[in-house]
Amino acid sequence: MQETLGHGMNPESPQSNSNQFEPLLRVSGLSKQYVQRRPFSRQKIVVSAFQDVSLEVFPGETLALVGESGAGKSSLARCIALLERPSTGKIELAGENLLALNRKQLFPIRREVQMIFQDPSSALNPRLTACEIIAEPLLIQGEGTKPQRRARALQLMEQVGLDSAQEHKTPLEFSGGQRQRLAIARALALSPRLLILDEALSNLDAANQTLILELLADLQAAHSLSFLHISHDLRLVSEFADDVAVMYQGRIVESKDTRKLFTSPEHSYTKELLASVRSVESILLERSA
Amino acid sequence: MRYLARRLLHSMLLLLAVSIFSFAILQLAPGDFFTPLSVNPQISAHTVATLRSQYGLDKPFPIRYEHWLRSVFRGDLGLSFASGTPVAPLLVFRARNTLLLTGTSLLLAWMLAIPFGIWSAARRGKWTDRAGGVVTSSFLTIPDLVLFLALLLLAVRTGWFPTGGMMSARFDDLGVGGKVQDVAAHLFLPVVGLVLATLPPLVRHIRSAMIEVLEAPFVLAARAHGISERRVLLRYALPVAANPLITLFGYSIAGMLSASLLVEVVLSWPGVGPLLVDAILAKDVYVVVAAVMLSSVFLVAGNLVADALLFATDPRIRTEQIN
Amino acid sequence: MTHRQKLACSAAVLAAFSCVILFAGFFAPYDFAAQDRDTPFAPPTAIHFVDAQRSFHFRPFVYGPRDLAQSPPIAAAASDQFHPLSWFVPGAPYKIAGVFTSRTHLFGVAEPARIFLMGSDAYGRDQFSRFLYGGQISLLAGLIAAILSVSIGILAGGIAGYYGGWLDEILMRGGELFLALPWLYLLFAVRAALPLHISQWQVFLLLISVMGLIGWARPARLIRGVVLSAKERNFVLAARGFGASDAYLLRRHVLPQTYAVLLTQITLLVPQYVLAEVTLTFLGLGVGEPMPSWGALLSSLQQYSVLASYWWMFLPALLLIPIFVVFCAAADALQELHKSVPL
Repeated sequence: MQETLGHGMNPESPQSNSNQFEPLLRVSGLSKQYVQRRPFSRQKIVVSAFQDVSLEVFPGETLALVGESGAGKSSLARCIALLERPSTGKIELAGENLLALNRKQLFPIRREVQMIFQDPSSALNPRLTACEIIAEPLLIQGEGTKPQRRARALQLMEQVGLDSAQEHKTPLEFSGGQRQRLAIARALALSPRLLILDEALSNLDAANQTLILELLADLQAAHSLSFLHISHDLRLVSEFADDVAVMYQGRIVESKDTRKLFTSPEHSYTKELLASVRSVESILLERSA
Repeated sequence: MRYLARRLLHSMLLLLAVSIFSFAILQLAPGDFFTPLSVNPQISAHTVATLRSQYGLDKPFPIRYEHWLRSVFRGDLGLSFASGTPVAPLLVFRARNTLLLTGTSLLLAWMLAIPFGIWSAARRGKWTDRAGGVVTSSFLTIPDLVLFLALLLLAVRTGWFPTGGMMSARFDDLGVGGKVQDVAAHLFLPVVGLVLATLPPLVRHIRSAMIEVLEAPFVLAARAHGISERRVLLRYALPVAANPLITLFGYSIAGMLSASLLVEVVLSWPGVGPLLVDAILAKDVYVVVAAVMLSSVFLVAGNLVADALLFATDPRIRTEQIN
Repeated sequence: MTHRQKLACSAAVLAAFSCVILFAGFFAPYDFAAQDRDTPFAPPTAIHFVDAQRSFHFRPFVYGPRDLAQSPPIAAAASDQFHPLSWFVPGAPYKIAGVFTSRTHLFGVAEPARIFLMGSDAYGRDQFSRFLYGGQISLLAGLIAAILSVSIGILAGGIAGYYGGWLDEILMRGGELFLALPWLYLLFAVRAALPLHISQWQVFLLLISVMGLIGWARPARLIRGVVLSAKERNFVLAARGFGASDAYLLRRHVLPQTYAVLLTQITLLVPQYVLAEVTLTFLGLGVGEPMPSWGALLSSLQQYSVLASYWWMFLPALLLIPIFVVFCAAADALQELHKSVPL
């Protein structure tokens, strides 16, 4: 059973800083199946990545998607980022059904939705310089001249907290946290409205996680960005998410705003997840006892 | 079992494709066996045309191919224009000699390569291994042609070995033991050449396959149990390394066939090699196609044997079936 | 020696050798086709510093043909014919890279003496000069054929790896066909399809094309592997998220990953193809007379009389060995380096 969100409909929930009650992104009934065929045999194995997923992300807000690894979260993220095609369902961005568009029509829409991957090392081409990497989306979308693109890239570097004097370095010369900042800078190049973060913090150490979260919060406030943040770390989620959707075995089992989820979880899986999250204080208490 | 049946089917299809392919490229040649005749003003065009149709050279490609395919299944491989005799007996005679040469060399090469490869892997890094490596590398880089010519030079200059052919002039006068000795004496240099040409890459591969296995955790565990190094090497590591080695066996047949062609021509061993070269120079179409097909059959057969061996020895392939 | 040093060394040697080959006309005292019926099968000319009167000359010299023409050749006998070695002598005209003409040769002796550094063959042609000119043919053939093979390999492997599906199936099955035959047999079969009596240049071009066409399967398979893994990388996915076209992705992100494999393949293939050309010509199926391909130089060794009496005819074969050693060293070093480069 799932509960759909009606953010503005619940007067007790904390008011978001957007004045729109229309979701930026609405996903309805999305499913994806993979069919595997063994060579020389009639057998067909159908693997379902996720089924009947519906969620909404509002402008300027963060929806966290939690669940165990292998629950189909990454596959879902890729479908919403238009990198894969789902088997059925609808993806609406500001009311427009993206799956009905052909490749040419989709081209300008791609600016609106961008993805940040879990491993920044694989998400950045090790042979390109930082400046080239950040400017690439502009190049592909045909924006501006070369010097203009470079200027914008340098500007973005500063925005994410990197020293623009390092524009000539390759990704390998940056630290893990810095690489993720590069990826964020690249994602911001086309001024998107929605950022999908696929476990973007999972490969970072705790200190870096906090720093990047702060950066993301600043960017969200400054540009009114929406985030779809996929994570398996509930503790982190509690810190930044406005709403949470819980995924279990390819389905959304529970979905409500953060505080309500943590205080009154309904589904058994949600309860399990919450039980496994313990605060540092409770651990220390137990040990000293 | 289904795995083997699949491999067999695959091989058959491959051979069919090869036959069409080789037949096709030969037909692409402008001119044919009788073209030199047609240039001769003393021979009338009519004669040439008659000869052509007599040998069936004036029909279109698919018909000739189908004709050829049908006769192959009957055991008739066509006619050799140069010698006027049927191809099949000619080829069989030569093929026997080539098999003798390559079979002996293959056996010898593997019998030498396995111990040497294992031994190098076991003594990896020590100076004996390094010295062996240098020797292997140097033989690896010497072009086969140069190697075979050097052997020929040796034979000519020292007179210790016969310089060609399979038997001496007085072969028929010798007794059975003498005959065997005679052939063996003639076989010696070609085998040496072939083995020297194919041994180095074999040793290299065996050595690296063994090294890879010797670095696996289960070998370390066996050693930690106190099992002797020799036992570890032969009873633990070698069976696991056998998988890539069996595959290598299939590939080594291909290399051996290519090298055998050259050694047969240089050292005048009457095998398929010289037959092929002469046939090409004479544009003897059917002989060329038959020779190429024969070598493919050897190759495919060798790979099938390797597949069967793999099936018999590697339990993973058998269980794949059940799933 | 580290791999990098090994690579640099072998590359330098190869470069130097290629220079000599390129300017073969300059380094060779004679034209490759210049015959001298008076001195067939002459042994390598002895270069002397001390003459019969035991006096030392700073300039090396050779003895005249009267001594050479005798068999067995007389060396260092008292002779009134005395021909010092000269540098930068004018001689037979030749072309550099087929464009520039020149007459200057690095060294030579005045007529009627001959300086055969590696002896002469049945027609009195200088083996040393023929060896240098032969390098032009054999090395060039090997190089162009290797590039052709690898180019087809990129095309086939790239398409198969990137687009997958039935295209991949067809291309890989086709490649299997080429790999299934022992390559020498295949080469012969295709060569057999070509007419035997056509112009030298046509033979050369056809030969290169044939060799190149046969060997595409292995590079294609390797490149396909690289492309398959490269196209799944997240940075390719990200670029696609910006709306990049397939052509852009291939050009900018996927294919550059194949450069390392390409380079290794070319260094491996060039010596193989050079050898293939040499073998074909040796057997009479390649470039014909009077083109001095290395194979042609070696073909006379099939005669008993040559092997028995004229040892210097074997020198070209011996000289091939160090060339291939350097090639293999370069290929090995490249392969080791390529293994340790992180993707």
